[in-house]
Amino acid sequence: MAAPQLQVNAGKSILIRIAELRAWLFLILLIVFFESWARAAYGMSFIVNLYNIQSITVFATVPLMLALGQTFVIISAGIDLSLGFVMGLSSVVAAHMANIAAAQLGLGPFPAMMFGILAGIVVTFIPGLVNGWLIAYLRVPPFIGTLGMYGVARGSAYLAGGGMTVAVNNEWYSVIGNSRPFGIPVLVMIAVVAIIIMHYLLSQTRFGQHTYALGASKAAASRAGINIKMLTMRIYLLSGLTAGLAGALYTGRFSAGAPQAGEPLLLDSIAAVVIGGASLFGGSGTIWGTVAGALVIAVIQYGLVFIDVEPFWQFIAVGTVIIISVLVDQAQRRFIGGRQVE
Amino acid sequence: MSERQPILSVRNVSKHFGGVQALDKVSFDVFPGEVVALAGDNGAGKSTVIKAISGVYPYEDGDIFLDGKRIAFATPQEARDNGIETIYQDLALADNLSIGANIFLGREPMKRLFGILPAIDRKRMAEAAKETMKRLDFHVDRLDAPVAAFSGGQRQAVAIGRAMYWNARLVIMDEPTAALGVPEQRKVIALIQSLKAEGKGIIFISHNLRDIFEVADRIVVFRRGENAGERTPGTVSADEIVRLMVGK
Amino acid sequence: MERRSLIKMMGAATAAAGTSLIAGKASAAEKVTIALIPGLTADGFYVTMHKGAEAAAKALGVDLIYQGAAEWNVSLQVPILDAVIAKKPAAILIAPNDKQQLIQPLKKANDTGIAVVCVDTFIGNGVFQTGSGDADFPISYVASDNVLGGRMAARALAKAIGEKGKVYVSNTIPNISTTDQREEGFKLEIKNYPNIEVLETQFNGDDANKAAAQFQAVLGRVPDLAGVFGANLFSAAGAANGAKQAGVAGKVKMAGFDAPESIVAQLKDGTFELTIAQHPAEIGYFGLVAAYAHVTGNPVPTAIGTGFTVMTAANIDDPNVSRYLYKSE
Ligand SMILES: Nc1ncnc2c1ncn2[C@@H]1O[C@H](COP(=O)(O)OP(=O)(O)OP(=O)(O)O)[C@@H](O)[C@H]1O
Ligand SMILES: [Mg+2]
Repeated sequence: MAAPQLQVNAGKSILIRIAELRAWLFLILLIVFFESWARAAYGMSFIVNLYNIQSITVFATVPLMLALGQTFVIISAGIDLSLGFVMGLSSVVAAHMANIAAAQLGLGPFPAMMFGILAGIVVTFIPGLVNGWLIAYLRVPPFIGTLGMYGVARGSAYLAGGGMTVAVNNEWYSVIGNSRPFGIPVLVMIAVVAIIIMHYLLSQTRFGQHTYALGASKAAASRAGINIKMLTMRIYLLSGLTAGLAGALYTGRFSAGAPQAGEPLLLDSIAAVVIGGASLFGGSGTIWGTVAGALVIAVIQYGLVFIDVEPFWQFIAVGTVIIISVLVDQAQRRFIGGRQVE
Repeated sequence: MSERQPILSVRNVSKHFGGVQALDKVSFDVFPGEVVALAGDNGAGKSTVIKAISGVYPYEDGDIFLDGKRIAFATPQEARDNGIETIYQDLALADNLSIGANIFLGREPMKRLFGILPAIDRKRMAEAAKETMKRLDFHVDRLDAPVAAFSGGQRQAVAIGRAMYWNARLVIMDEPTAALGVPEQRKVIALIQSLKAEGKGIIFISHNLRDIFEVADRIVVFRRGENAGERTPGTVSADEIVRLMVGK
Repeated sequence: MERRSLIKMMGAATAAAGTSLIAGKASAAEKVTIALIPGLTADGFYVTMHKGAEAAAKALGVDLIYQGAAEWNVSLQVPILDAVIAKKPAAILIAPNDKQQLIQPLKKANDTGIAVVCVDTFIGNGVFQTGSGDADFPISYVASDNVLGGRMAARALAKAIGEKGKVYVSNTIPNISTTDQREEGFKLEIKNYPNIEVLETQFNGDDANKAAAQFQAVLGRVPDLAGVFGANLFSAAGAANGAKQAGVAGKVKMAGFDAPESIVAQLKDGTFELTIAQHPAEIGYFGLVAAYAHVTGNPVPTAIGTGFTVMTAANIDDPNVSRYLYKSE
C-alpha cells in the first residue's frame, strides 16, 4: 500500500511569532514615541522614570482585572458585557459590608476590610452563574445574555448603594488601595498575582485548554467529550470573579463604592483583549497579550496627557490601535488560520 | 471469516424520527481488520445507524453487540471510553490547537509543576503526536503548529491518529473524503489501510464508489432504512451496487 | 457680568413674590400637578433638590411627580420625559442631560401646553423667553449660577495656593452646561491672579481611575503643580486619588465641587482643601414656586440664581455651613 507523505508547511513561523507579539511591539513603539517627545519637548524621560511607571501600572490595574476575565470569555468565542456593572456591584457591596462589619459586627479595620472584599467577590457568583446558565443551558447568545445581565447588575448596584456612592472609612482598606511598600503599589502586586494565576489557568490546565477548544469549535469540544455546559458556566463565573476583585480594589482605592465605577472600563477591557491578540471569533488570545493590551491603552492615555496633547487625541489613538490590531489579526488568519499561543 | 467473533454486531436495529422510519431492522457485522462500507442513497439511514452505535441517539428496537456484549451508550463519550471512535469530515478538530492537543482533547495528560501544581504535559502530548503520526507515515516539522494550517487530508490524518492513539477497536468514518480533492482522497484511503493493518474494525461511509471499491472488504447497502444487500467488492460491479441502492 | 447681578436681583424678587402668591392663590386654585425630572436619581444633589421641591409643593398644595434615570444619560432621560409628558402635568421641572439633545423632546412638552422650567442644567444657551433661537421656550432657568461657582472656586483655590503656581481643571465630558460654566467661571476669575497659570483641561468621562491617572501624568510633567479644580465629584475624587497615589496629597491643593456627606471626612484629612457646595434645596424650592406662579397666571423671572457655600476643614463643623451638605435620603 502507498504510504501517505504528508508534509506540514511550517515556513511562516517567524511571521506567526511577530503577530503573536504584536501587542508588545505596539507597546514598545508607543514608549519610544513618548520617550522621544518627552525628551525633545521637556528634556525629561518618559519611561526611565519610576514615577511614571508606578502611575501607569496603577492606572492599568483595574481595567486589566476586567480584561483578564474577559480574555477567557473572548477565547471561548463569547463576550461579557455585564463586567462593568458587575464590578460596580462588587464595589458597592464591598463598601457596605466593610462598613457593616466594622459598625455592626464590631470587627477591627483589617478583618472588616477582608470581610468587605470577600463579600464583594462572593456577590459576583450570582451574575457569573446566571450568565453561564443563560448561555450554556438556555442557549442565549452571549451578547444578549450578558447584555441582560448588564442591566440587572446595573440596577442591583444602584439599589445596593441606595443610588449613591458609599463612602468607606477604613484605614486598612485605603492602604490596600493606595500604599506602595518598596515603591511597588499594592494594587500592582495584587494585579501581578492575578496575572500569574490567570496565566496558569489558561495555559497549564485542562480548563484553559478546553476554553481554547470551545472557542475554535463547539462541536469539536463537545465530540471530544468535554462538558461544554459546565465549561461555559465556569468561564463566566471566572470573569464575574475578576470583575468582583476589580470592584473590591476600586473601593479601597477611592475609599468609596460606586455603582457606575466599571461602566467606562468595559470597552477598555474588550479593547485590551483584542489589542492583546485575541480574536472576537474565539479560539485565540493569551494572558500576556491582554496584559500588553491593557498597558498599551494605559500608556496612550497617560502618555498623551504627559506630553500635553489635546485630550481628544486619546480616543483617536486608542481607536487606531484597535483597528490596526484587528487588521493584523485578519491578515494573520488569512495566512495560517486561528491559533493558540502557549 | 465467520469463525472469528465480530467486534460489532448490529441486529435488527430500528429507529424513527416522528413519522420517518430512519432505520427498519438493519443488521450487519464488523470483524477485526475489516473495512465495512455502508452505501446507500441520501437519507438511507447510514448516518443514523452509526449515531445509534456511537451513543448520539438511542435506538428503539433490536440489539447492538460490542465484543458480544449488548451496548446502548447514552453519550458519545461513553462510546469513546469503550473503544469506539467516530471521525467526521468537519466537526472533529479544534483548528487552533496542535496535533497533540487535538489527539488528547478532553483527555489531556497531566504532570506536576514544581512537584505540586497540576499542569498539562505538553511534552508528552507532542511526543505521542509525533509517534502516532509516524505510524501513519505522516511527517510534521512543527508539532506545535495549529491544525488550521493543514489541508483537509492532513486533518483527517490527525483525526485518524487520534483514534489510533486511543486504541480504538472500532473506527467509524462518516464521509471522511467528502470535502477532499482527489489526491487528498487517496491519502485518506491509504490511512484507512494503515488502520486496517493494525487490526481495527472500520465502518466507512461514502458516496464515492471508487473509494468504496478500493478500500472495503464488504459493502453493506441500505435503502430507505432497510438492508438492501451485502456484497464483496471482488464479486460485484459498481452498477449492481447502484441498483441495490436505488432498488432496481 | 450684568446678567449675573440681574439674575441675583430677580432671584431675590421671586422669593418674595413666590411667598405672597402662596398666600393669595393656594386655596382658590384646583390641584396642580408638577413633575420634577432630575439629571439623575442616584445623586445626593438631586435628592436634596427633590426635598426642596417637596417642601414647596406641600406649602402650595401641588401634586409633585418625581421620575428620573439612575444615570446621567440622554437616552435614558428622554423616555422618562416622554412618559411624564403622557401624564399631562401642568409644568415640568427638568435638569436636562444635554444642552442640545433635549431641545426637541422638551419642545414637544411645550407644544402640548406643558410649561417647562430648567433646573440645575439648561438647554440651548440658558437664556429663555427672548424670542430668539429654538430653545428659548422654557419659562425660567433656576440654578446655581455655575459661572459664579467656578469663580468662587478660583478665588478659594488661589488663596489656598498663595496666589501663585500652576493649576488645571479636571472635568467630566464637554458640553454639559453646568460643568462647562464652572470651568468658564474658574478660568475667568483666575485671570485676576497674574502669577497663576492654568494648564490644559483634562476630560475623564466620569471615570475616576482615568482622572487619577491624568493627575499623575500632569504632575509628572509639571512637578510644581499647585492645585486642581475638579468640576464635579468624580473628577475631583479622581484627581485627589491621583495625588494620594503620587504621595502629594495635601501638597497639591484640591478644590472640589458639590458636597455629599462623605466630603466632611475628606476635608478634614486634607484630601480636599475646599469644596463649593451648591444649594440644591433652594433650586428645587424656587423651581417649583416659579412653575406654580406661571401656571396660575403670574409672571416669572426668566432666570433665578441660587447661592453657594465654600466649605473647608476650618468651617465644616459650623452648622450654618454643614446644613448645606447634600442629604442622601
Ligand atoms: N435528527 C433527525 N430528526 C429527524 N429526522 C432525521 C434526523 N436525522 C435523520 N433523519 C431522517 O432519517 C432518515 C435517514 O437519515 P440519515 O442521515 O441517516 O441518512 P444518510 O444515509 O446518512 O444520508 P446522507 O447520505 O444524505 O448523509 C432521513 O429521512 C432523514 O431525514
Ligand atoms: Mg449521512
